[in-house]
Amino acid sequence: MKPKGQTTTTNIEKTDSTKKKRNVEQNIVNINHKNWMKNFDPKSVDDLAVHNKKIQDIEEWLRITCCNNNSDILLLTGPVGCGKTTTIHMLAKKHNIKVTEWITPLDIEIPSFNGDYEFREKQSTKFLDFILKAANFTSLLDSNSKKIVLVEDFPNTFLKTPSEFTDILNQYKNRAKSPIVFICSDSHTDNKNTASSLFTPSLQEQFQITQIVFNCVSVTGLRSALKRVAELISKNHTSIYNTPTGDMIECVVNSSAGDVRSAVLNLHFACLKGGNCNLETSIVMAKETKTKAAKKKKQTSKFLSIGKDQTVSILHGVGRVLNPKVISVNNSERLSHSPSDIIEQFLGHSSSFVNFLAENYLPHYSSIDHLDKAAGALSDADIMLAEWREKICQEIGLYVAVAGLMLANKAPVSAWNPVRGPKNLKIVYPSPHQFPVLDQNYLHKGRVLATDYKTYLHIICPNN
Amino acid sequence: MSLWVDKHRPRDLMKLDYHKDQASRLKNLVQQSDFPHLLVYGPSGAGKKTRIMCLLRELYGSGVERLRQETMNFTTPSNKKIEIMTVSSNYHIEVNPTDVGIHDRVVIMDLVKNVAQTHQIDSSGQREFKVVILNEVDDLTKDAQHALRRTMEKYVATCRLILIANSISRVIPAIRSRCLTIRVPAPTENEISSVLLGVCKKEGLSLPTELAIRIAKCADRNLRRALLMCEACKVQQYPFTPDQKVPEPDWQLYIKETASMILSEQSPKKLGEVRQKLYELIIHGVPPDVVFSGLLCELVKNCDMAMKCQVASHAATYEHRMRLGNKAIFHLEAFVAKFMAIYKKFMEESLGDVF
Repeated sequence: MKPKGQTTTTNIEKTDSTKKKRNVEQNIVNINHKNWMKNFDPKSVDDLAVHNKKIQDIEEWLRITCCNNNSDILLLTGPVGCGKTTTIHMLAKKHNIKVTEWITPLDIEIPSFNGDYEFREKQSTKFLDFILKAANFTSLLDSNSKKIVLVEDFPNTFLKTPSEFTDILNQYKNRAKSPIVFICSDSHTDNKNTASSLFTPSLQEQFQITQIVFNCVSVTGLRSALKRVAELISKNHTSIYNTPTGDMIECVVNSSAGDVRSAVLNLHFACLKGGNCNLETSIVMAKETKTKAAKKKKQTSKFLSIGKDQTVSILHGVGRVLNPKVISVNNSERLSHSPSDIIEQFLGHSSSFVNFLAENYLPHYSSIDHLDKAAGALSDADIMLAEWREKICQEIGLYVAVAGLMLANKAPVSAWNPVRGPKNLKIVYPSPHQFPVLDQNYLHKGRVLATDYKTYLHIICPNN
Repeated sequence: MSLWVDKHRPRDLMKLDYHKDQASRLKNLVQQSDFPHLLVYGPSGAGKKTRIMCLLRELYGSGVERLRQETMNFTTPSNKKIEIMTVSSNYHIEVNPTDVGIHDRVVIMDLVKNVAQTHQIDSSGQREFKVVILNEVDDLTKDAQHALRRTMEKYVATCRLILIANSISRVIPAIRSRCLTIRVPAPTENEISSVLLGVCKKEGLSLPTELAIRIAKCADRNLRRALLMCEACKVQQYPFTPDQKVPEPDWQLYIKETASMILSEQSPKKLGEVRQKLYELIIHGVPPDVVFSGLLCELVKNCDMAMKCQVASHAATYEHRMRLGNKAIFHLEAFVAKFMAIYKKFMEESLGDVF
């Protein structure tokens, strides 16, 4: 990258016509730079999109712990992209605290003379060494005595054996002289949640871990952050970006669901100048959806061509199917949530979604005629879903169930009904051991025991 | 004390009470000292197992009656440990592969392999093969049925399979064609009542013929149930009277209750209550098809002729779907909803005629 930059600088001196070219090229160099996102990083604590209260909490903690050199532990949790790491970095910068971050190294080491790979050190040992050194020794290059250790990237071994992690914390607590900060992103979909599996309540109590929970960034926070980015763009980067309009910002805010990082990325994508026509259309589409979104009072459920796909929880989806709303657009009636939009979210686990629907649909219908159609649709769907070899059958089955339930419900009952999970139909056959009178040397079938023997054996020998 | 069903089970092919032609043909089959794989099918309580045990006795002598129970352990490819009850003699082994649910394939493959790989030590004077009896073959998963097809061919030299099913429609054609299929039809009501009379005579009891016929009618052409009913009658009231009450199975009463609920009110709320009843039945091991036919029989009693046809045709549709699908409850519920809709419309129309 660098030699290219140098050649361009030699070129500019020559003519004016190349000057324009240089501008473009330099900017391209700029955007290809691996840290181009850093251009928009907050420069001070005031730039953070995080709620002030949270910032104060962390600032307070940092102030107390860094002064008295003890090994306190802080745990930050929250959804992705809500500014956990950035907040720590910004505050550390403000208070002139040195942050040392652990990044899990690759495990494979140089082969030994025999040619086989050996793992000389356990991952956990390395980790402990690192955090202790980072906590206890000051760098020679700067004489900054205030420091914290930051861990965001947990070594895999802890996820497998959480007990190891307890030992490490114990050692750290006893030997280290600086506070340590753990950052865990929590996700809804993933059941391997680092925060809950590693930092169990008993562990938190044992080591007196302070936990600060971040929420999604609020709409106002997000908007002001994006406005700042827009200013930066109009000031420094006009050559590669179109200046974002207010509409565009609003649209990105709606689509990114409180995730600053993805919001900035989306804005970057939406404002990019030139490029191929593909990009152009997506910008136009973004604008179109925006106008629709404004009409509907910023419904957060719009799937934009840019932005995150919003994950709709299964309960949410069940609610949308069972309480269909009909809206009229251009004199034609249609459902406010179209079935195809809904099924998109549940294609991966179609049968469990249908089970949820089947468990809950009854109280939402007012008439038995409508119910008849709905039950028929579920019956159709079950046959389709039973065909697991054809992937398309799953999709069609789900569609039949969702559309059938929505369309059949002409007069929905609007009452609050709690959503129940599907019943686990575990068939419990009577066991032959319950009836000692049975011939033990005869292999009894559970079904026959249930249908034939059970009643009569109770009559024939009432005492057992 | 053992039950009449077990005590009076015929042990010899020639002593069977009905289907005597078939019995003599079975006898001829084993007289040639070898037989192909068998697929024995027929409704529950028709005497399939009885015939098979007679056949084995004919083949191996009384040694097959020295039975022992064993629990066998298998490991699935996903390292799950499963165990299954088997009943075996020196010459045969019997198992219900469906007891282990979806892991039935493992049981079939490993069990047949185990049996087939052990040869008889002394083959002189013995048969060269062992017999594996598999119950409820029609309820096996497709996967297991395909596995069965391969094992059948591979180990034909050392073992014979006897498969038992209620209906062969769910047995894959590949298996059907590899077996000699033997149908054991349900006994007629007359046959049942004569068996009942015979058993009571052996027990030294006097059973009025009218009662025998009534029990036979109640038992739904299921001999096992008839014998159990008869014994239950004896416990409830002896000496017998021709008009004494014949106890019905409890699930049948439950289905009747459910049917009267359906007839009492046709509303979404009622359907919710009916669903709970259906859940109860299924959880307690009553097969969904039995529930289905029981419900239909009770419901059509209250319909006129035109509606009967309509209801029956819908029932047929949903029953067929139930076989194709996974969740029996969906189709049962759809049928009940359909019936409610039809019945309600009918009631409203007939009320409209009155005014």
